[in-house]
Amino acid sequence: MELETLYALRSPVGLPSHPIVFLVLLVLTWALHILAVYVMLGSTALALCGSVLAGGHWRRLSAAMLETAKVAVSIAIVLGVAPLLFVQVIYDPFWYVSNVLSARWAIGFIGLLLAAYWLLYYRYFRNGRETASHLTLATVLGLFLLCGFIMHGLSSEMLRPELWMRWYAPGGHIDPSGSALHDYNPWRFLYFVGLMVPVTGAWLVGYRGYLERCGERDTAYLDWVTALGKRCMSAGGLFSLLIYVSWMSTLPASAGGFAASAGSLIAVVATLALAAGPLVCRAGSGYYRPMLAAGVAILLIAASREALRLKILGGGFGYDILTYPVHFDTYSTLLFFITFAVLGGSTVAFSIALSWEAGKAQGIYTASPRIARLGNASLVALAVWLAQYFLFGFLTMIG
Amino acid sequence: MEIPGLYPTWYEPLLGSGWVLGIIAVIHVLASHTSVGAALVSTWLATVAVRQNRPELLDYVRRYGVFLLVFSYVLGSITGPGIWFSATVASPRGLSALIHSYVWWWATEWVFFLIEVIGIYLLVYLAGRVDSRSYLQVAWIFGVASWATMLIIVGILSFMLWPGQESWFTEGGSLAGFFGPYTVAQILTRTCFMVMAAALAGNLIASGIEEPRFRREMTRTLARVGMTAAILGSLFFQWGLATLPESAQLLLKTRLPGYFVPTLWAILAGIVAYFAALLAQPDWLKPSLAAAMMVALLIFGIWPEERARESMRKPFVAGQFVYANQIIARDVPALGVRSELQLLAEQGILKSHPFIPDPLRRVNPGNQLEAGQALALVYCSNCHGLGETGPRPMTRMLAGNRNADEIERLIKGALVTGNMINMPRIPLTDEEARALALFLAGLPLWQAVGP
Ligand code: HEC
Ligand code: HEM
Repeated sequence: MELETLYALRSPVGLPSHPIVFLVLLVLTWALHILAVYVMLGSTALALCGSVLAGGHWRRLSAAMLETAKVAVSIAIVLGVAPLLFVQVIYDPFWYVSNVLSARWAIGFIGLLLAAYWLLYYRYFRNGRETASHLTLATVLGLFLLCGFIMHGLSSEMLRPELWMRWYAPGGHIDPSGSALHDYNPWRFLYFVGLMVPVTGAWLVGYRGYLERCGERDTAYLDWVTALGKRCMSAGGLFSLLIYVSWMSTLPASAGGFAASAGSLIAVVATLALAAGPLVCRAGSGYYRPMLAAGVAILLIAASREALRLKILGGGFGYDILTYPVHFDTYSTLLFFITFAVLGGSTVAFSIALSWEAGKAQGIYTASPRIARLGNASLVALAVWLAQYFLFGFLTMIG
Repeated sequence: MEIPGLYPTWYEPLLGSGWVLGIIAVIHVLASHTSVGAALVSTWLATVAVRQNRPELLDYVRRYGVFLLVFSYVLGSITGPGIWFSATVASPRGLSALIHSYVWWWATEWVFFLIEVIGIYLLVYLAGRVDSRSYLQVAWIFGVASWATMLIIVGILSFMLWPGQESWFTEGGSLAGFFGPYTVAQILTRTCFMVMAAALAGNLIASGIEEPRFRREMTRTLARVGMTAAILGSLFFQWGLATLPESAQLLLKTRLPGYFVPTLWAILAGIVAYFAALLAQPDWLKPSLAAAMMVALLIFGIWPEERARESMRKPFVAGQFVYANQIIARDVPALGVRSELQLLAEQGILKSHPFIPDPLRRVNPGNQLEAGQALALVYCSNCHGLGETGPRPMTRMLAGNRNADEIERLIKGALVTGNMINMPRIPLTDEEARALALFLAGLPLWQAVGP
């Protein structure tokens, strides 16, 4: 594709804010998405291991991880919606083409994810009452991975504008079936999926900290979980680094020189930091530190992933995302940021604080004055939000 | 040469891309409306349960919550992005126009959606585990956030059909596209519909209550709520129709399929009768009956409504400026958007579409049929199956006519000039019209050998 065509594919409507704003949000929300995906994949994998090994500690861990997986899927999906929105805003010429060229996969993704999710619930409600439970869990994990692979394929195809026509009209004859997933890189996929090992390791160490807080007495189990988590972190992190190197050696020519750039160095350092996670672990609330470190590392990896895309599209094809035309829309820009920061901030803080404390308490938990105030603040924010919605609606209608 | 920003085309011969999108959308509408309605009903029931200290009612709220979590949230949260994915592949530029105009509104909806998903977990897991004030806060945050998601999507959907204020075209601004004369009526109608769907779903759970007295009480309560919502909803719907400008009223009359209005009334009557029967005889309620009513609503209620909306906005797919076949057909001066019809009439789409393979750029005797197929794919396949299957299959459209000259005359007389209601103007050049006519004339055969 010519550069001129890539620009022509942009929406003529333009953007309601500067492209850089969307780029930052894309990286940020994708990091959150993939973090939840890692916990989801890791807990499913551990639940599977546990149900295969079936002995002592594994049995207990397996049940706990099944609970985690169930919640993590829904969080991963919700958090996936935001990057899905932002990626089409600034990368529409690329994202839409890759989706159309693999349309059946993009649609199939929905069915596969639905099947995986329901199968997980099925397994959950029948916990212990089923003989072929390994098979169910293995299927769930396989389906999740397949969903991830489709995402990976779509993200890869968008970076190969030079091959689009060859995929769409092989030999000069149009094939509109959208039946092939045209591009993938096993190393890239393995890297972005394999990071679940160190992240889940950090999650396990945090899980230990939480159990301890709740007054868990079985120290043998606690120590076993911690050791397992630390092993996952260091071994998984180092292994990921190896995969990263292999991936970098297979980048297409359009990525010219990315492997040795600062953007790539960030990913190397962040991956190493994951491997070094056990070093920051301390007793007490220090058990949560590895997870915090993992969050930061994944954010850096997300930034590096974006740097690669910018390098390929900008360096390889001369496409400049900063030249996207902007028709600034004041109202909706403010609406989002204020809703996100004030309303989202207070309600999510309230929800997390309340469930956290209630989880630790024995019997009925009575909210502390601070949490109660947070709850009230959230309700007030919601009321104000509704009021402004109808106010602006009214003003628009009479204006 | 100027390049129109057209994408490749995805073609699904059996259902057509539009129906794939339609099916996912209908499932999503049922799931998401049930979820929001259920959030409102749960908030109310939880409030009653806490105020009157009734543990069995709280337990009902929790069980209802689990059902919602497994059924509507899973379905709703996956089919939601599913609509984006299917709209992306069926109508990339239509979706793109909506996304680029309303990205911040959608992002705001996402914040509410996040709160909603966390809220349903809390409602289920914290029932009976926190003090009553906190539980009420959880319930109300959940209820209001759910309703807010609907407030946002209502405006985006009505923009898709018709930008709220005419001034949007000349002055822009997302508010002007969002709020229109129909907005309030639509919010009320949808809210009622949501509560009605939630009452149907709630009955499914109520039918599983062991204790007969409580089961009858819940069944009756939900029947009362559902019946009120159904009746109010239809009044609001009528009011909404009355708020439409005269031109849109006329459009409704000419475009809606004849069965639409009678079907709507029949559904309403059926649902009211169902709830009335339960009020009189709550013991009639069985899980199978409750489930059957949900399915009936899906098939008879939402499907025609979605189809009607689709035909209402024909030939446009978004904001009255993007055609269903992805061509931009109207200037939007506020955004600098320009109609592409002139450009395509002058240059021809085969020459200017970025995704036409080079051998088809020029029509010649050797590639006429294939060029015709490419034209049909680009210009027609969004609304017509290119053979005997799919929506409005092309073979049936031509009433069996296989005479290329006559088809060419029809194309030039009606399509190129834009003289067919419900159909976009198709700015073909002469050689393109010839190629398309030859392709259409050879259809069944071509379908057998083509892709
Ligand atoms: C926006 C969607 C849309 C597009 C794009 C579209 N059509 Fe149609 N077409 C319709 C509708 C709606 C009808 C009416 C169908 C009916 O009455 O059952 C129709 C009817 C027709 C008819 C039958 C007219 C009659 O009076 O019997 C023909 C022929 C036809 N279309 C050809 C085409 C061709 C050729 C193309 C592509 C160049 C095309 N259409 C593109 C929506 C579309
Ligand atoms: C089973 C569930 C899922 C898994 C395992 C998964 C995994 C992944 C992986 C591995 C990537 C990175 C691909 C790459 O860069 O090579 C990715 C990207 C992405 N995923 Fe997911 N995902 C899942 C569900 C979802 C859902 C439900 C959504 C949307 C609602 C979503 C939206 C995205 C988006 C938008 C991207 C980034 C696209 C880009 O920036 O190019 N994902 N996902």
